[in-house]
Amino acid sequence: MDAKMIVFGETAIDRLLQWLRASGEPKDLTELLRQYLEILARAVREENE
Amino acid sequence: MTAAPTTGTDQQALAEEIYRLMVGQGAMFALDTPIRQSLANLAEYLARRERRDPAEVAARIDQALSADARFTREVVGDEVRFVTTRQGAYVPRDQVDSHSFKQRLHDPEHPLPIDDISVVVSTSRPAITTVEPVYISDYWQMQVPPPVVEHVAPVEEAPLAEAPAPVEEVVAEPWVAAAEAPAPVEVEEAVVAPVAPAPVAAAPVEDVVVAPVTPAPVTAAPVEEVVVAPVAAPPLEAPPAAPVAPPPPVVVPAPRPAGPPRNTIFTLEDGTAIDLRRPVDELMAEHGDRLARLLADRLEHDPLRRIVSFGRKYYPEASVASLGKNDLRKIRDYILERGEPLLDTELIADLYYHNPRQQDYEGFRFSLNYRLHREKDFEFVGVEGAYLWATRGLPTIGGKRVKAAEMGQITAYLVEGYDDSLELQSIEAIQQSGSVTRMLTFFEWEYGVLPLDAGLAALLPGPLLPEQRSAVLRFESPQHYTTYLVEVRYPAGNRGGWLQGLEEFFHEHLVPGALLTISRTGEPNVFQVSYEEAPEKTERVLTFDEKKNKLAFANLSFYCAVDEDQLPGQSRFGRLNRLKAFPMGERRKSEMILEHVSETIGDQIGTPDAPRYALTLDDLFVAYNVLRPGSRALLQSLLEHSPDFSADEATPGRYIYTPAPSETVEEEEEAEQPGETVEEIQPARRRYGARYDEDE
Repeated sequence: MDAKMIVFGETAIDRLLQWLRASGEPKDLTELLRQYLEILARAVREENE
Repeated sequence: MTAAPTTGTDQQALAEEIYRLMVGQGAMFALDTPIRQSLANLAEYLARRERRDPAEVAARIDQALSADARFTREVVGDEVRFVTTRQGAYVPRDQVDSHSFKQRLHDPEHPLPIDDISVVVSTSRPAITTVEPVYISDYWQMQVPPPVVEHVAPVEEAPLAEAPAPVEEVVAEPWVAAAEAPAPVEVEEAVVAPVAPAPVAAAPVEDVVVAPVTPAPVTAAPVEEVVVAPVAAPPLEAPPAAPVAPPPPVVVPAPRPAGPPRNTIFTLEDGTAIDLRRPVDELMAEHGDRLARLLADRLEHDPLRRIVSFGRKYYPEASVASLGKNDLRKIRDYILERGEPLLDTELIADLYYHNPRQQDYEGFRFSLNYRLHREKDFEFVGVEGAYLWATRGLPTIGGKRVKAAEMGQITAYLVEGYDDSLELQSIEAIQQSGSVTRMLTFFEWEYGVLPLDAGLAALLPGPLLPEQRSAVLRFESPQHYTTYLVEVRYPAGNRGGWLQGLEEFFHEHLVPGALLTISRTGEPNVFQVSYEEAPEKTERVLTFDEKKNKLAFANLSFYCAVDEDQLPGQSRFGRLNRLKAFPMGERRKSEMILEHVSETIGDQIGTPDAPRYALTLDDLFVAYNVLRPGSRALLQSLLEHSPDFSADEATPGRYIYTPAPSETVEEEEEAEQPGETVEEIQPARRRYGARYDEDE
């Protein structure tokens, strides 16, 4: 994914949701943000590779 | 034996007859189902019928059917078979299903470009959004200007002759003469000639290092023949193995032209650039707060509400357990039965028997809090780490002597910039020590109320939810082993905050002027309240008789250390009992209270016709805080900005109050006899001028 296409808070939210459901318990906002950044970074990295 | 020569017509007739025979045999077959018959069977049948030699007949049949397009000849082992179908020539069925419903369902004929698979694949159950159509009147539709189409200047096309020819269209002209050669053409792709047979058999191909090819000027040779000199491969250290056959030429694929690297930086709405190549920890440290706020805001405004929150916790909406009406009624009844706000963990344990060790415990806990938060019958009164729930019908904490609307206005001075509680203790010191020490005023002692100033706000937990208006804390007295529920009312808008519910503790153990210490404990909603103990002492201290609505002095025995200057005792503040116990709604008028207090406790230094009252700021502070809370900063501001007050230049800290002359004012001469209850002063509204009428 080209980072220019990222809309923070909208792009890849489904992946974040998937992770949240898989975790099975509520998560703190900080933890949620950390995971979201990792998802975005991974998406950009995969595309570059 | 050779077959008798047959004419083409005979063969066709024979083939037609056999075709009819075989179609009759497979009359129940599908149109394209193969019908097989062996040559031997056919020959035997026809030979018997025509009484001819089977071999001869077989030869004729073989000849006739082989020439007919409707038959396919198969040889299985030693047997010859002919295959046909009801519809003619046999065509083997194509088992490859290239147009199935399943495929058409998932593979659209014209797929849209997908930049992010997440926008296509969703594992969540989409909520059905109900967007009600809103009719916009024709008038407004007419008023809306047509959308402005940005005019784009037409781009002038450069003449073809001037256009740079694409590289692909460079036609390699055969070399004519060096003098006429065009400028060297840069060859972008390196063309690598087959590597000369070198002993590379034992070395992995990946190890073949291709020297960087220097694009040779094409002037010396036609472009088609641009050949890089044989790569001088470094001597590969292959062991001198047995001579092997010359290996096939190692074709090194031309390096794929690396496209421009994708952008890894995205920009927030405020222009902040976030580079996703950086470690997440760095991004969190630098932009964590801003990104967290932004993410929370986006999730909050997600139209599908896929991820919901309660406090700082987030959970998929689809995973939130639902609570029915029976659940809500059960919870409400239980809270009412217990008579005080209850923790969510208590509700879960007592009503649902869920164990914290259960895997779905945290999810259910979130669901309970999330659902109760959306119910109007329940109010969240918890703090971070202790989620307390109250419901309608619970007894009011702190009684009904103080109404929330009135106290919010009375403590408004705290949000108006007159909060001086941090002069003695800084926020850092409070947070580090985990305790706040403050002096108790008469108003605080009488009503069990503490203004939520900056010092207390630094110690007590803030609201967890944005719209949360109060929290319930538990104050423990380690000196008396008693516990009190205290409600914290948070500031909202131009209204201040306060604590209420300590009336019983104050009246039983303290007097105005006592030093009070509030300390944090290990529990986020539990605090300790303590005071410095002292030998028993009895004083005539100001009290408030609520039945008579009068202030009076009464003997009180207390065992706490007090600041003698702040103790409203009869010996020092004998005129305090003359203060008018205004209704609480009147006490929000800080100027009126100041003038009334000054007239009451000030020393008359003027004449009966032109009264003037002198009083110190310390006395004024004690007396003012009998009727309502107020900081020294508030009093100083009132004194400085009121035209009726002036500072006594001869005595620092002393002020002179000169009431504005008014014809309607009836001076009341009252005997100043300490200990005597005097008639109440009923301040008529006109007494204080029109200013207070405007406040109404």
